[in-house]
Amino acid sequence: MTSLLRYQFINYLRTYKYVPPFSIFVLCLVVNYTFVPNPILDSYSFTAIILFFLMGWFTVTLFHAEDEGQKVITTLHAKSRTQYNLGNFIICVLIGLFLSCLSVTYPTLIGAFGEKPRFIHQLLGFLSHFSLSVLAIALSAIFTRELVKNKQNTWWGVLGILIVSVVIATLKETILQIKGLIWLLPPVRLSLEMMGSEDSIATIPNIFYWRFVWIFVYSSLVVLLFFLLSNRKRR
Amino acid sequence: MNTIMEIQNISKQYRDKKIIENATFSICANQIIALVGKNGSGKSTLLKIIAELVDADSGSIVKHRQSLKIGYVPEVTPSHILFTPEEYLYHMGSIRGMAKKQLQQKINNLLELFHLEQARNIRIVNFSKGMKQKVMIMQAMLEDTDLLILDEPLSGLDPKAQSDLEETLSVLKSKGLGIVLTCHETKLLQHLVDTVLVIHNNKIILADSLNNNDFPKNKLMFEISSMKLLDNLLPLLEIQQQSLLNNGCHKVIAVIKTEDTDQVLLDLLQKKASINQLTPINQKEGHFYTHF
Repeated sequence: MTSLLRYQFINYLRTYKYVPPFSIFVLCLVVNYTFVPNPILDSYSFTAIILFFLMGWFTVTLFHAEDEGQKVITTLHAKSRTQYNLGNFIICVLIGLFLSCLSVTYPTLIGAFGEKPRFIHQLLGFLSHFSLSVLAIALSAIFTRELVKNKQNTWWGVLGILIVSVVIATLKETILQIKGLIWLLPPVRLSLEMMGSEDSIATIPNIFYWRFVWIFVYSSLVVLLFFLLSNRKRR
Repeated sequence: MNTIMEIQNISKQYRDKKIIENATFSICANQIIALVGKNGSGKSTLLKIIAELVDADSGSIVKHRQSLKIGYVPEVTPSHILFTPEEYLYHMGSIRGMAKKQLQQKINNLLELFHLEQARNIRIVNFSKGMKQKVMIMQAMLEDTDLLILDEPLSGLDPKAQSDLEETLSVLKSKGLGIVLTCHETKLLQHLVDTVLVIHNNKIILADSLNNNDFPKNKLMFEISSMKLLDNLLPLLEIQQQSLLNNGCHKVIAVIKTEDTDQVLLDLLQKKASINQLTPINQKEGHFYTHF
């Protein structure tokens, strides 16, 4: 598996397809923290949403980094389509992890906040970035060529699902009227609600941890759905 | 013949459309089998089933060797591989789980076998299509492959690359590999392939060999001063076309049995006829190409 990961990662680096989303992310970070002081949790919330969208971009370009023909060959050598896709997911998550850490440490290092962020701020900041990254990876993967043949549908699908996920975060009251629907929709709103807390927050309430757990569980279920559909489609 | 794999009653359908119905044949070592048929006839699907990339709906594949190693070369040659052949083969071998030392040795052997040593440090993206195709076959042979499966290996290659690849396939065959391929290239079929399987109406309807070269008749084109001189040869000649030329000679196109050819030629030359052309007629081949 490490050989597969190494190959997929080096191949992705050599495609340079990561340059546009990475550049946009760095630009957003720099521009967002140009003027100081900034509120801590609000700023983290903003960059987490930016990362949410850009992880969709990273995911699609990583899943499409190889030629279609080469993908068949690599899958054949890896002896399993599941392993091949798992490799892509792991690299996406590692990118998400790296960018989440960068998003939390960069403003701290340059002193972009009004007060020195405490551990609780950084933990919340990291969890919001990382959970939304994982959620974006899971949702975007559904629209990659593994399941969607048409490239246009991939890009519109990813953009659509990510935008809808954010928009429905603001429509909670309407959604609550339909019983059970809230559990089906991507839980971006949970992150936004938590990050809407005051900077003066003293401790992280237990409910917050459960909300993050739900975002990860929801993402895992979507990834599971991806594997189910992918293996069903194969034959 | 040393059978390495048997395909038994393989059937496959996508949704309600039948692709392959009860395909049955054997693959031997030192044998090249060509699967031919019209576009969409199910050639590639059958190859993928043999390569275990796609499951058949029914039927079975019996392997006659305990750990039969299959190499697969897809129809579409990847055009954008961002590695050198050495790096690429190293990655593919590592992903397969091959040991580093054994893998490096194998890569060196393959680069030598395919005459790509000079290009070992050039990125594949800069290769010609023929060279890329060679790398594709190399990746399929990283482990000691028993059966090589190639989907349209010659498509899109220029004549020089085709002839190189033909030579390579011939060498691989002589090394004991069984090779199954789909192709449209008449030259390859005539010179290299041992057995041709035609897929028609979802079934393998013809299993024949073109290497037998049992041409029953020849086509003869000649010029002769008078048609009367042919009287004694008429029982042997099947005249298809005759025309009077400006010089007063008659141009004749006729079909003769192979066994009578020498006698007819001798007679014609003695009568000062000028032989323009003598070509063998392969009736099986003519019949065969109607399947494309």
